[in-house]
Amino acid sequence: MNTRSIHEPIIRMINIEKHFGSVIALAGVSVDVYPGECHCLLGDNGAGKSTFIKTMSGVHKPTAGEIIFEGKPMHFDDPRDAISAGIATVHQHLAMIPLMSVSRNFFMGNEPLKKIGPLKFFDHDLANQVTMEEMRRMGINLRGPDQAVGTLSGGERQTVAIARAVHFGAKVLILDEPTSALGVRQTANVLATIDKVRKQDIAVVFITHNVRHALAVGDRFTVLNRGQTLGTAQRGQITPEELQDMMAGGQELVALEDSLGGTI
Amino acid sequence: MSQTAQSQTVSDERVKEMSALRRALIRPELGGLVGTVAVFTFFLLFAFDSGMFSSQGVMNWSTVSAQFMIIAVGACLLMIAGEFDLSVGSMIGFSGMMIAILSVTLGWPVWLAIIVTFAMCIVIGALNGYIVIRTGLPSFIVTLAFLFILRGFTIYLPQTIERKTIISGVRDVAEGDWLAALFGGKILTGFFTWMGQAGLIETFERGTREGQPVVDGIPMLIVWAIILVIFGHILLTRTRFGNWIFASGGDAEAARNSGVPVSRVKILMFMFTAFCACVFATCQVMEFGSAGADRGLLKEFEAIIAVVIGGALLTGGYGSVIGAALGALIFGVVQQGLFFAGVESSLFRVFLGIILLFAVILNTYIRRLITGER
Amino acid sequence: MKSNLTKFLVGAAIAVAPMVAPTFATAEGERYVLVSHAPDSDSWWNTIKNGIALAGEQMGVEVEYRNPPTGDIADMARIVEQAAASAPNGIITTLADYDVLKGPIMDAVASGVDVIIMNTGTPEQAREVGALMYVGQPEYDAGLAAGMRAKDDGVTSFLCVNHAIQQPTVGERCQGFADGLGVELGESMLDSGTDPAEIKNRVMAYLNANPDTDGILTLGPVSADPTILALEENGMAGDIYFGTFDLGDEIVKGIKSGVIQWGIDQQPFLQAYLPVVIMTNYHRYGVLPGNNINSGPGFVTADALEMVEKFAGEYR
Repeated sequence: MNTRSIHEPIIRMINIEKHFGSVIALAGVSVDVYPGECHCLLGDNGAGKSTFIKTMSGVHKPTAGEIIFEGKPMHFDDPRDAISAGIATVHQHLAMIPLMSVSRNFFMGNEPLKKIGPLKFFDHDLANQVTMEEMRRMGINLRGPDQAVGTLSGGERQTVAIARAVHFGAKVLILDEPTSALGVRQTANVLATIDKVRKQDIAVVFITHNVRHALAVGDRFTVLNRGQTLGTAQRGQITPEELQDMMAGGQELVALEDSLGGTI
Repeated sequence: MSQTAQSQTVSDERVKEMSALRRALIRPELGGLVGTVAVFTFFLLFAFDSGMFSSQGVMNWSTVSAQFMIIAVGACLLMIAGEFDLSVGSMIGFSGMMIAILSVTLGWPVWLAIIVTFAMCIVIGALNGYIVIRTGLPSFIVTLAFLFILRGFTIYLPQTIERKTIISGVRDVAEGDWLAALFGGKILTGFFTWMGQAGLIETFERGTREGQPVVDGIPMLIVWAIILVIFGHILLTRTRFGNWIFASGGDAEAARNSGVPVSRVKILMFMFTAFCACVFATCQVMEFGSAGADRGLLKEFEAIIAVVIGGALLTGGYGSVIGAALGALIFGVVQQGLFFAGVESSLFRVFLGIILLFAVILNTYIRRLITGER
Repeated sequence: MKSNLTKFLVGAAIAVAPMVAPTFATAEGERYVLVSHAPDSDSWWNTIKNGIALAGEQMGVEVEYRNPPTGDIADMARIVEQAAASAPNGIITTLADYDVLKGPIMDAVASGVDVIIMNTGTPEQAREVGALMYVGQPEYDAGLAAGMRAKDDGVTSFLCVNHAIQQPTVGERCQGFADGLGVELGESMLDSGTDPAEIKNRVMAYLNANPDTDGILTLGPVSADPTILALEENGMAGDIYFGTFDLGDEIVKGIKSGVIQWGIDQQPFLQAYLPVVIMTNYHRYGVLPGNNINSGPGFVTADALEMVEKFAGEYR
């Protein structure tokens, strides 16, 4: 499952620092992401996960540090640059519009056109066909391409968003807490989707604070704490307990965990 | 726990398959369609012999409905894009007055007066949109301000220039003007003359026009209404821009994240709404030959009512131009038809209220079916 | 879903039915439609509604009152067109905007509907559009009659308080008054605006600057009420000759207390009542008065107040 050894990293974030006025959100974080791996970014609330991925996706400019994308230094001026380079983000709050059909959502902002005379029209046939195909590939059976997104479950919506990013050529897919609001079964579906995406040699950056979700699909794990990384670990080299402790920033949880009977 | 690659299709057995009939039924236009059928059935039963379905009567309610349609198309697209324009009525008064002042008072050629007025309206529409986008204020408030500003100018300008609030004489200066004919003229006049001669429609009984048909052509107002409805429908459902209109109104933030230029879409829709108001005003001024400071009062609400009857969602992101056109038709037919049916005219508002309530309830129900909201 | 839909439809039909049903018991007689230009909010037109209703009852004909809800004259034109399409025996309408209404009225006449112009408009315009006649108060003539009356009462100079300078027809009242007195209008017409406080102050200022003014004409309650206050404040109330157009509560009180000599009533009741009676007789027996009818000026003095007070807002 782990194919990264034969590749160069697609994106390298080297010593990234980000300051907001006097607040230091990121104090030198380095992460490499390889094609075809699922790189889990773990951390508690306020650890700097959001700032870090916003820097990666071009929303923030780093105060210091370097971003190497496909071997070349990159400077993203805005998210659009990052998107056109192939870095797609699926946000916690989805870029999906419930009242619109799946196919209209799928192609929102990238509508396929068909020329009739001098006029260009939305090619609904193509859009519907591609949507159905892509959704089937992700394992979702739609009633029809005109089914409204509002009728889909939370997990299915995440899957549509992921499928859309992949279809439009994402090389790096950033998933911001995709499972945080989902039930058990829907979470399983989303994790399955992540696995499918990884197999297409796309680099997945999976942000979560749920260790079990991370361990289910992750190839490597980077833990952020107070704007710093505590290092990156390989699958199999780390136990869930160790990850949990790193996220909490030390050993405090161990005592607590003992008293709660290991349920955290 | 190692991830087992789930490749079987994930389907939710709780989503019931829908019957073909049910699927055909749940369209945003359904409410408007049901309403139209109901309204016509009602008036065919109660007002068939009243002159409502004579050529003159048909022309009467068609014209009124066409007026509503013209402003409803603009209001519909703008509402789907998530915004309101309350300045439509004032814009109608203002643009009519501008045409009259430019052509009659200043003596400009009528075509130039019309073009300049259209340009002015579209710029004001863009300003409306720009302020809404830049300030992030609700369009309700921004356009409410323009409702007063434009109405104020519409009263102030003619009063200052001509010391009166009605400027007449547009018809005389518009005589033979090529552009004025596009708004105030009639088409198919030959066909109607023939129908009159053949005895298919009523003719005048006396006076200088004896023997001529009572309805002597289709006014350009109706032609404009049909063109705008078709244009709006195709734009909304068949183009990339139409998808952006839905997206901007459905969730502006999500649309921006997906690369939809939301600000541009909304500003363009404000401009289009202003354009529609200007078409309305130009047709009116060319037909009646005068502009008055009180023209277009409350038309913004009539437009919004037609759009809502037609199934659009007040909060944006959902609706249909065909629905809005049907809403305008219902509105026009009811308004004019109640008179033919012999109902006391002050009860018109009671009917309007009932229809509005009925339409909104029905549309909410249909929308829940489509979107699975609970 | 279907059962719900049916419920909606049935409910709507039940809600609507009672409003429609009674109105179909139409009278055997002729049908006349009165179209006004007044918005719903204008209560002055209530007298008109009562006038046609009474005439309809007395003559055994069906009458309808129609108006544009917002007072939009373009909407009024559609109502005239529509009234014509419903093929009534006659239409009684105002000519609030000659340009806009000319077309629809002429079409109605040409399609065989008789038209009488009431209230607003002129006898000339009524003839132009092919109406049978005009029933109303010609503003200039009303002013002239008032001026002649004032002259007989010994008035030599006057102030005309005009609160509606933008309406040329209203201004004609002042011109007529001046001609009736036999003086130049000149500076005696005051553009007062419509704000009560401003009107009051301007009237006081004018009377200060022109102390020899011995007559005042106001053009309606809007200018009359503040003028009464002004006169009470500077002590000229009851001393200066004061006449006004139209009636209102304060004006009636003023006439009673002697501050106002007379009020000119254009008698809207007649403007509504007479056209119905005239048209009915025309359609039944072919008789038609040979001229236009002036419904005003009717001078209301302290002697005639009893009836005015009794029927105020109903028939007066």
